[in-house]
Amino acid sequence: MNTKLRVSEISKIYPGCVANDEISLEFGSGKIYALLGENGAGKSTLVKILSGVVRPDKGEVFLNDKSIKLNSPLDAKKNNIGMVFQHFNLFETLSVFENLSIDSDKKNEDLRLSVNNILKKYNFKIDLDIPVLNLSAGQKQKVEIIRCLIRNPKVLIMDEPTSVLTEQETEDLFVSLKQFSDEGILIIYITHKLKEVLSLCDEVAVMRKGKVVSVSKTKEEKIETLANKMVGENLSTIKKKIKNFKYSEEILKISNLNFRSDDPYETNLINLNFSLKKGECLGIAGISGNGQSELFQILSGEIITDYTSIKFRDKEISKLNPRERREYLMAFSPEDRISQAAVPELKIYENVALNNFKSSNFFEKGLVNEKKIKEHSKKILSNFSVNTDNVEMKSQFLSGGNLQKLIIGRELITSPELLVCFNPTWGLDVGAINYIHETLININEQGKSSILISTDNDELLKLSDRICVIYKGKLSKIMYVNEVTPEKLGILMGGGSID
Amino acid sequence: MSFDLNFIGILIGAIMASSVPLILAASGELITERSGVLNLGVEGMMIIGAISGFALMVITDNLFLAVIGSMISGLIISIIFGVLTQSLLTNHVATGLALTIFGIGMSAMIGKNFVGIPGKEFPLLFVNLKENIPFLGPILFGHSVILYFAFLLPFLTNYFLKKTKIGLIIRAVGDSPTSASNQGINVSLVRYSCILYGGAMCGLAGAYLSLIYTPQWIENMTGGRGWIALALVVFATWSPIKVLIGALIFGGITILQLHMQAVGFRIPVQLLSALPYIMTIIVLVVISRDSRKIKLNTPTSLGQIFYKEK
Repeated sequence: MNTKLRVSEISKIYPGCVANDEISLEFGSGKIYALLGENGAGKSTLVKILSGVVRPDKGEVFLNDKSIKLNSPLDAKKNNIGMVFQHFNLFETLSVFENLSIDSDKKNEDLRLSVNNILKKYNFKIDLDIPVLNLSAGQKQKVEIIRCLIRNPKVLIMDEPTSVLTEQETEDLFVSLKQFSDEGILIIYITHKLKEVLSLCDEVAVMRKGKVVSVSKTKEEKIETLANKMVGENLSTIKKKIKNFKYSEEILKISNLNFRSDDPYETNLINLNFSLKKGECLGIAGISGNGQSELFQILSGEIITDYTSIKFRDKEISKLNPRERREYLMAFSPEDRISQAAVPELKIYENVALNNFKSSNFFEKGLVNEKKIKEHSKKILSNFSVNTDNVEMKSQFLSGGNLQKLIIGRELITSPELLVCFNPTWGLDVGAINYIHETLININEQGKSSILISTDNDELLKLSDRICVIYKGKLSKIMYVNEVTPEKLGILMGGGSID
Repeated sequence: MSFDLNFIGILIGAIMASSVPLILAASGELITERSGVLNLGVEGMMIIGAISGFALMVITDNLFLAVIGSMISGLIISIIFGVLTQSLLTNHVATGLALTIFGIGMSAMIGKNFVGIPGKEFPLLFVNLKENIPFLGPILFGHSVILYFAFLLPFLTNYFLKKTKIGLIIRAVGDSPTSASNQGINVSLVRYSCILYGGAMCGLAGAYLSLIYTPQWIENMTGGRGWIALALVVFATWSPIKVLIGALIFGGITILQLHMQAVGFRIPVQLLSALPYIMTIIVLVVISRDSRKIKLNTPTSLGQIFYKEK
């Protein structure tokens, strides 16, 4: 089965942004192709066009030299193009089998038979009769893949598939993808992770600002060359100095922290104990959904569990709310920039004012002191190189990277003693990630402490002094960063044990 | 003794009759909500059904046409809601409230000329059996065809949602319209259909009131039953069978407290009148405690506006 897929001069323009600008690419079966680019480079738009979700303004798609129309996802299915989206397209409350049967024309018995064959052939282990919300991210992805495989795809598109996977799950996925490729399925692999391109793919097309800037064989590329093509400039590489915190002052102590929830979507936390020294960064690794957001909310005071478990600079702060904790010089940068950290409909300066209640006298006699807030906001924008100086702009018009700089800036401008951040670079492009990483290393060097809860292992290894892993609400032992390897983290993140 | 037993049978028959409009409206709304659409216009659609059914009966003198007409008018008024929320992407809650206000006003206007006109007798089935079998007779027989349909409906709805492909698609759309759309399901079509079905069932519920239960037209005669039906759907955690149980409890306590008032129990009337509301909520909350099941039954996208990428 030989498959050739060609896109020719595809353009898609959204108001204010050219997402795809005359894109032409060719793919052939038996190979794995990487589509590499930063956020907003236009990769997702291109694959949405290939899967029929979005219609191009101009251009054509050819499958085996025949022009095909992709006006709806059904057209893509008819042409045997399968797609695994970054944000899973599954129905959480339906069972796995119901999810699979929804777009299949087969009888239930026949479908079950062919699904079982796929499970056996690729060694997937999934219970078909439990609701999808009980599955791990890796299993959910397998359900998506099975859904494509049922239809004998010629082309399989994977959009950022490893962003939610553990190291081990990623390896398993790569094994499966290579197996599919050997069976003649053409695989297009979208990512911004350079390492994955080199270890998995045969050819790589780099996209930047809606255009294809290079197509090459991965053998001829290195991480640095790809990174520079992707960003379009040379990136500085920063490194953290290894320090000894033995004699430093202890700034935060968590003892016997427990959290129980009746909500099936939440994770219980079981007996957490750790402490943090002045100037130190503690990294907390783990696959999302293992208790990170509960832990973050307990540290920030959004959830109060008990009155004795959190000591900050020798003061008991367990029952304080987020505002009171900020007055003790703690600062927080939550995971979801849009819904937790900032109000997108509010202007930049209004978002800045939300945080600093007492100390900064933004409010006098119940009135808003606009002038003061705006001056303060301008300072944040320039100190943290947000690419605008217009404090009247609504926050929703900031890109993810700039919004995150604003949020971190808002937290850091009060010189807190401790910053707790949760996935601070999630979904950002390389330039913004670089900037945030530099900032986080800098605050440690100024003697401020930080807790970094992250699902990105490279980031954790780069920024942390000590690392532990959270799994099903329990913390692993805390290790110094020089004893940790990605493999060890992977094992712990999957619930295994080391030593 | 046989007299007492028969009396209880008649009482149960009356309870069943009083719960019919709730079962019909709630079953319809349940399907609508399962597709992720929150239509608060149930009361408005019911009362439009009530007046159109009654008006058609007076004009055509044909009960069959009246019943069908009430369903069609409920369906037509729900189209307004569908166009606004699905095509013009307005807020579900505000639009539903507007629909109810519109329905009540509209029905009062149309109904002006129909006040005081006596209704027509609606044919009841198996009347012989009702009178000849003590106790069970008045429970099982001597009802209108709509009542039998209403009591079958929750079971049909349950089967439809759980076992059929279309039911599965409706649940999928209610869970995640974006995923459904990316799977090639026409979300708009599914949601429109569910809205129209809900409208038709509410229309039928209204017709039951004005043609059978109290065969006449009185302004505002639904008397908040639409709101009760809405609450039943939520407290029954989107389970058709629990809707049936809830409707029977509500109907039952409504009738019983009337009897208690008549007999002269020394409990304040206000308290007795509030009893059906309180008891229904308590019972439904108690039988739907399983939070895992609630999660699985609740349409995740309920009330969310869905916008398709182009």
